[in-house]
Amino acid sequence: MATAEIFFEHERWGHNLAWSLGLHVVVAGLILLYAVVGPSSHGAGWGAGGGGDAIGVTLVNTIPLPAPAVQTENVLANESKGLTQSLPKVEEKEKEPEAIPIPDKDVKPKKAPKETSTKRQKPQPEPVEANNIVPFGQGGPVSGPYGTFSAGEAKGGFGFTGGGGDFGTRYGWYVRVVQQKVQQSWLTYDVDRRITEAPRVYLTFDVLRDGRPSNVQVEQSSGIPSLDQSATRAIQRIDTFGPLPSDYSGNKVSVEFWFDYKR
Amino acid sequence: MKQRKLQWITLVFVLGAIMMLGACKKKVAPPPPPAPPAPTAPTASLTANPNTIEKGQSTTLTWQTTNATDVSIDGIGAVDPNGSQSVTPADSTTYHLTAKGAGGTQDATARVTVTAAAAPPPTSSATEEELFSQNVKDIFFDYDKSDIRSDQQSALQGDAGFLKQHSNIVFTIEGHCDERGSTEYNLALGDSRANSVRTALVQSGIGGDHIKTISYGKEKPFCTQSNEQCWQQNRRGHFVYQK
Amino acid sequence: MFPFMHRLFKWLLPIVLFSPPAFSQDWIRTGTGLGVEKVRLAVPDFKASTQDAKNTDLLKVFNDTLWNDLDNAGIFDMVSKSFYPLGPVGSPPDVKFEAWSAPPPNAAMLGFGNLGASGNTLTVQGWLYDAKNVTSPQVLGKQYQDAATTDAARTIAHKFADEIIFRLGGGIQGIAESKIYFVSSRSGRKEIWAMDYDGANQHALTHVGSISLSPRVSPDGSRIAFSSLTRTGWDILMYSVDVGRLVTFPRFGGTNLSPAWSPDGTKLAFSSSRSGDPEIYVADQSGANLKRLTSFKGPDVSPAWNRKTGAQMAWVSGRSGLPQIYTMEADGTNPQRLTEEGYAVSPAWSPNGQFLVFSWIRHYGPGAPGAQDIYIMDIASKQWVQLTHDGGRNDFPYWSPDGRHIIFQSSRSGSEQIWTMLADGTNQKQLSFAGSNTQPNWSWK
Repeated sequence: MATAEIFFEHERWGHNLAWSLGLHVVVAGLILLYAVVGPSSHGAGWGAGGGGDAIGVTLVNTIPLPAPAVQTENVLANESKGLTQSLPKVEEKEKEPEAIPIPDKDVKPKKAPKETSTKRQKPQPEPVEANNIVPFGQGGPVSGPYGTFSAGEAKGGFGFTGGGGDFGTRYGWYVRVVQQKVQQSWLTYDVDRRITEAPRVYLTFDVLRDGRPSNVQVEQSSGIPSLDQSATRAIQRIDTFGPLPSDYSGNKVSVEFWFDYKR
Repeated sequence: MKQRKLQWITLVFVLGAIMMLGACKKKVAPPPPPAPPAPTAPTASLTANPNTIEKGQSTTLTWQTTNATDVSIDGIGAVDPNGSQSVTPADSTTYHLTAKGAGGTQDATARVTVTAAAAPPPTSSATEEELFSQNVKDIFFDYDKSDIRSDQQSALQGDAGFLKQHSNIVFTIEGHCDERGSTEYNLALGDSRANSVRTALVQSGIGGDHIKTISYGKEKPFCTQSNEQCWQQNRRGHFVYQK
Repeated sequence: MFPFMHRLFKWLLPIVLFSPPAFSQDWIRTGTGLGVEKVRLAVPDFKASTQDAKNTDLLKVFNDTLWNDLDNAGIFDMVSKSFYPLGPVGSPPDVKFEAWSAPPPNAAMLGFGNLGASGNTLTVQGWLYDAKNVTSPQVLGKQYQDAATTDAARTIAHKFADEIIFRLGGGIQGIAESKIYFVSSRSGRKEIWAMDYDGANQHALTHVGSISLSPRVSPDGSRIAFSSLTRTGWDILMYSVDVGRLVTFPRFGGTNLSPAWSPDGTKLAFSSSRSGDPEIYVADQSGANLKRLTSFKGPDVSPAWNRKTGAQMAWVSGRSGLPQIYTMEADGTNPQRLTEEGYAVSPAWSPNGQFLVFSWIRHYGPGAPGAQDIYIMDIASKQWVQLTHDGGRNDFPYWSPDGRHIIFQSSRSGSEQIWTMLADGTNQKQLSFAGSNTQPNWSWK
């Protein structure tokens, strides 16, 4: 009888396996179908607030987590937070207890804007000081003052060039306004949905006295026209950032933005 | 597994047996069908309400028949097996209904007595207004619709009949809606309803310049409960006599 | 292997099913400017600058109004007053930067100042400081003078709040001085009323004595067009805010409803059944040059201009049965249907031109209708998001001039009242309480 039982189980396993396999194929198929059909009916695929992991079916992807808090890290407007790099952070914190942290910070970024203003064609990594190297990936504009942000499936960074180099130091609040407006203006649904990841696109534009953006240029294309266009439109869609600070002497200020797109 | 297989086979066998048995049963010759019953004779009834009217008033004939395929009323013509109709005889008349069916024919009559008007009816608006409200029935609509429902046609015709008889009357049709819709859209829908009734009346020969229309949307409901009965009450074209 | 796969699928499937709404809410927050990180703003009570006895009341009104305006703006994370360092702050020397920018307040920006009555004059000084920028902190510094009354104190608070919002909100005007016009029945008849954007100061404008509906204020704020039941039927009437009474406007015949101003104030669109069937018409703001735009059988009503361009219009049409929302060019060409099901009414176009907010009963049929809620739709992609979920019948939504707020009418409290909320559906607050109040309309600035 024992032998017969083993024989039973063997047969059952094979039978059940077939059923199980079949059901799994069906379920997988349904999920795939939903992933293809579902998002298009309710616009689920794009959205702001960070953390745009795919609503995918592949087992490899992590489960989409609730959107992490939007990160704003502007070194100058906010002394306590720093960028995700150990060196400058440590240095800044050491300097805090000292009397005047601001002039010290002035030293670092002053170098960068001067150099970037001369070579606007292609932003290159600035190897000058260790604490100026920013983790932008394959090297990006290290023109400070700069900050980072995220908008839906994209991460970005920006810097204020021109304007005497200390614009961001003096007017951290204005820098924040610019960053927020660009962030909230970028609707990533006009990017071709087949694109899951794209190289960085660099944009520059000026902010005029009355706050209007002008002269939006793609400094370095991502290679994907719809992404370039989407980023350009994000800036063009903005009517105004608000007038430049009244005690700022310049007529305009230049801003450099980069966008990383990863669905 | 063997046990399972056995169970399965048994089941199939049992099912098969049942089916075969059923089939076998069917092969038995059916009993001869009973002779078709003799066709039943049609019945008919005809009433007039009221059966006494003053000259110029109308009365409603109501009839019912069973087992009849051909029903007609003298003076009116072919009618549905069951129904009602408003008539305005000038003199006393006996209406005669004939119902024909496979089982035979049946007649029914109803007598309407027409008395001479007591005195020429005073053109006091009170009496005319009372007549108006008695005889001109509101038209009810389906939700979100402004076209005239088929079951409202007879009421509409009755209204047209009366209004043609009293062609001096000027009146307003109010369009109303139930509470479930939105204010602005309901005003527009009420307007469509009032217009719909107006168009139907004009097509029946009522002078358009006697008819005013206004929409009240859901602003002046007839009842305020939240149930289908009340909602239907509110979806109407309401007639108002203008003095 | 199989049990693992099984478990994973079971786990993935519900997340796949439930994540879409979270994402669709996110793009609304982005497009409407909400949901991005908010500025941490601390606003301690203003200090008294004189010894006048009136100061107590004036300060209370001023401080409460200023706080509410900034809190309601939708762009600040107001630092709770319980975290503030001790000691009043009335002028720049009083500011201790370290105390404000470090935890617990951890403020990025600081608004402070002083207020004092002197005789019949009220003087207010206010500053906005970047709390992290010790060398050059000043973003703005203002001085106001007015009569020493609580109304004036309220107005100054609104003005100062709007200045802060303008600076820190990226050049968009604050709404603290904007007004809301609406229909109220509390006097016994439905008349047109007005109130401040926060529900203060509710008062009647019209005294027509009939049924008056659908108020719409002109872009320059000088006139209110509305629809009223006159002896000839429903007509568009014009109320002048400047002179405080009705001014002449032509009668068109038929039923005339739902007026809507073009964003440049030169034209008025409305629904008229003068030709038999209710259609959308456009006329000059004087009523001249009447032109018909639609020719659909079925009621056409509730036009809404594209507020950014004035080149398009949305409206409600019953030509396919239940009312649905359509758009067309401002000359009537190229009608496009936007909603496909249910009962959709009351469209209003957002100031940035991107969104329509409207009222939708997605399941409407004989019998009790399903929920009636406020929805936002992105016009380009037709994606929509539901904003209200709390029951009641929610209708007649309208945008604030800054595009960050929406007012609407709701019956959820038991009677029809005016409510306000942020454009992402959060922060819903009741503004009216007496009588029945409906059909709110926000001023253009």
